[in-house]
Amino acid sequence: MAGIAVSTTINGDITEYLCQPDETLLDVLRDRLGLTGAKEGCGTGDCGACSIILDNRLVCSCLVLGAEAEGRRIETVEGMAHGDQLHTLQQKFLEHAALQCGICTPGFLIAAKDLLAKNPDPSEEEIRFGLAGNLCRCTGYDKIVRAVQDAAIVMKGA
Amino acid sequence: MTVHNIRVGESKRGDASDGTLAEAVGGRLSRVDGPAKITGAAKYAVEQQLEGLAYAVLVESTIASGKVRAIDTASAEASPGVLRVLTPDTIISLRTASDWLGTTPPDKPYCPLARDITFSGQHVAAVVAETFEQAVAAAALVNVSYDETPSIVDLSDGKAGDGIAIDAMTKEWGDAPAAFAAAPVRICAAYNTPREYQAPMEPHGLIARWEGDRLTVWEPSQWLDGMARTYAEWFEVPFENVRLVSPYIGGGFGSKALALSHGAVAASAAKMIGRPVKLVMTRPQTFTGYGGRAATRQTVTIGADRDGVIQSIVHRGVNETSIDGMWVEPLGSVTSIMYATPNFSSKQNVVRVNSVVPGAMRAPGENPSAFGIESAIDELAYEVGIDPLEIRLRNYAEQDPHAKKAWSTRQLREAFAAGAERFGWSRRSPKPRSMRDGNQLIGWGVAAGTYPVRRAYGEAVVRILADGSVEVESSSIDMGQGTYTILAQTAAETLGVPADDVVVKLGDSRFARAGVSGGSRLAGVMTGAVHKAATSALDQLVGLAISDPRSPFHALQANTLVVANGRIGSPRGDGPDVSIAELLKSVGRDRIEATGDTMPANSTAEDRYKNYTTIAMALPHTEGDYSRYSWCAHFIEVRVDEDFGTVRVSRVVSALDSGRLYNPKLAESQWKGGIIMGIGQALLEEGIMDRRHGRIVNNNLADYLVPTNADIPDIEVISVGIPDPHSSALGGKGVGELGIVGVAPAIANAVFHATGKRVRDLPITLEKLI
Ligand code: FES
Ligand code: FES
Repeated sequence: MAGIAVSTTINGDITEYLCQPDETLLDVLRDRLGLTGAKEGCGTGDCGACSIILDNRLVCSCLVLGAEAEGRRIETVEGMAHGDQLHTLQQKFLEHAALQCGICTPGFLIAAKDLLAKNPDPSEEEIRFGLAGNLCRCTGYDKIVRAVQDAAIVMKGA
Repeated sequence: MTVHNIRVGESKRGDASDGTLAEAVGGRLSRVDGPAKITGAAKYAVEQQLEGLAYAVLVESTIASGKVRAIDTASAEASPGVLRVLTPDTIISLRTASDWLGTTPPDKPYCPLARDITFSGQHVAAVVAETFEQAVAAAALVNVSYDETPSIVDLSDGKAGDGIAIDAMTKEWGDAPAAFAAAPVRICAAYNTPREYQAPMEPHGLIARWEGDRLTVWEPSQWLDGMARTYAEWFEVPFENVRLVSPYIGGGFGSKALALSHGAVAASAAKMIGRPVKLVMTRPQTFTGYGGRAATRQTVTIGADRDGVIQSIVHRGVNETSIDGMWVEPLGSVTSIMYATPNFSSKQNVVRVNSVVPGAMRAPGENPSAFGIESAIDELAYEVGIDPLEIRLRNYAEQDPHAKKAWSTRQLREAFAAGAERFGWSRRSPKPRSMRDGNQLIGWGVAAGTYPVRRAYGEAVVRILADGSVEVESSSIDMGQGTYTILAQTAAETLGVPADDVVVKLGDSRFARAGVSGGSRLAGVMTGAVHKAATSALDQLVGLAISDPRSPFHALQANTLVVANGRIGSPRGDGPDVSIAELLKSVGRDRIEATGDTMPANSTAEDRYKNYTTIAMALPHTEGDYSRYSWCAHFIEVRVDEDFGTVRVSRVVSALDSGRLYNPKLAESQWKGGIIMGIGQALLEEGIMDRRHGRIVNNNLADYLVPTNADIPDIEVISVGIPDPHSSALGGKGVGELGIVGVAPAIANAVFHATGKRVRDLPITLEKLI
């Protein structure tokens, strides 16, 4: 099947794909490129499970079309660790038990990465409101907040 | 198959104050499946990439009651990429399957697509296409016409009636009505809970693939063997021919335990087109594709002395069920055991409404039951002028008042004490509306919760491999509770190897069988089975080391050896000291394998099949001399904006008795998750019906509100449990369901304390307060 040719950068790698005009970026990532880190919890922008960073902006990839990624820079959870070296946020999520089923986790990690990039020293309230677009039904949230706070401290010191 | 092989540089010593090694049972080992999940590497069931995959999309009824007159599929069939349109007339015929008790089903066909409509959102057709987008587009072109009949929207519908009495739910002792009439203090109130939804963040879905008469289903599942049984019966193939794969599950909360009609549709479609088919529900479909928690109504009357000692409880409950299915939400479950009372009566009806059959949602029964009794006792406290905590202690049940048996363990008094201390309950000013901060009214509430210890038999395989590493296999699952982790800890501790050397494989029905992961039973069942299997593997290992002539220990003539940190030596340390790998090499073995099975010794093959594929063999929690429950006490502070009536939970301290914790870090996480689900239940969650069409209107995550990070305060949990040998092999009781039970009444009680308004109708939204 023919499609729209898209050239984009994903986690630093130049990536080209063909997609249909009605295909979401989330479906492209997951089904065409096998990058299943971003999850689909709703498909309507309500849960944040599909969060990615698109040109330095946190977006719901379920609300972006695959064709719109042309010439842009995409960051997904798969790009956070370097080999075996986990990103500080990943390490802190693990230590603080900030995940259970893990479906929301990639979205939270990406949203937290974006939050800390823009506000390296957030208050608890800023974290809670900054991550309010990501739903988690398992963890009780406060361990996520602790993990982000703890990561912020480490990352500032780094 | 799941292998977690990313090592993380973390200390092996947990932060447990008792110095427990993180990797021992009871230690705070970080989740072993964590690295795969935080890097995005973990592949969930529907993320398998299969050759030739086709996509199915469901078409649902738009009426709540009536018949499908006709389905026009012409334009859908002509739509690009469409492979097949399935309707009740064109889908292959299946057989009716048995229920989860294993009850022999009626010998009649089963069609997962409906002609007779009993609720809005029922599956009536499905489109299979080359791509998901094509299937969605074509599904919109399927034209269904109906003959509509009047529907019963919900319990408040005038046509609903009183329903059917469920005699099996009746619990009575003494003469409750007479004692109530004679009591000097009497309270009576009605408590309602709405339809609520599990809303796991991973929607339901599956990939089904046939190879001849063998079916593989990748599906998030709380019960692989139970679901495999249903698929096998639907498609009339041997149980062994069905393989369920579910390596990670994105939350279930009770909703992913059974094979559902969408699964039958997808597996039928795969069979019909001869290709693997993926079907994932849209979020709106998850509100009608299976049942959430039934709406409930309860009246609780309490007769008491003037000093608050209960003389009588009369309880009546009603829950909704569907037109043709039966769901009983046991509303008297907490009412009948929480407090000592000489006279008691509880009865329950169910009422049929045009809804999907309700289902299990975190602590089915106990959760709404606790909302009734734990609100009512609070009302009694104010009526007699006694502190809400004190009245609970005054009526403390020293034994199970219903079963008349001793508690196996009941650390509820300890929970009240620890929670009150930490929360600062003694500083509470008793009068409603007497604590404030500016225009915020502050309220402090308390409520207790409980959940029975559900027990079952389990099975596991433990293998010691040539390199000294260990494999644990079970077809049980991890939906986030921490099964991978606690089973690694159990095997590591039992065998004397580092937890890093243990690989736990779950979520494949080819592995050792497992019963349902529901009712908080999995940890107790599976740690017992793994412990047994690992013990027998260890016995084999030590036996070989002692008796095999090629073993370096043979000459020692020892009668036992110790294994620690992956090495074998004599207890006095005076002989050789070799690694497990070296020993296996010296005796010429490439592995040791043991199956642990906690079934009674004389069990037949049928018993085993029944144990793992039905719940018919679950052991009653009041079996023998003891009554087994987990317990908790929640202390909650709310702040209510006096002008706007908005309620925020600002502080939670909960003390919980789940017996021994296999991994406190993960158990605390489960408790907290339960508590915030309780906050959602108290303040936000409610299925809202369009009364003209009998249809849910807020069937999405923007309108069905679950708590977000910004709704949740700091939550403190305290474990007050002690090992309970009557509840499980290693002393744990249930964890997952417990946390939610009692949260909603604690919040309602806090709201009363803040505002003087008693809200008996969940959720507590602002219009009920202004
Ligand atoms: S899947 Fe994109 S926000 Fe939910
Ligand atoms: S960990 Fe399951 S939804 Fe967040």
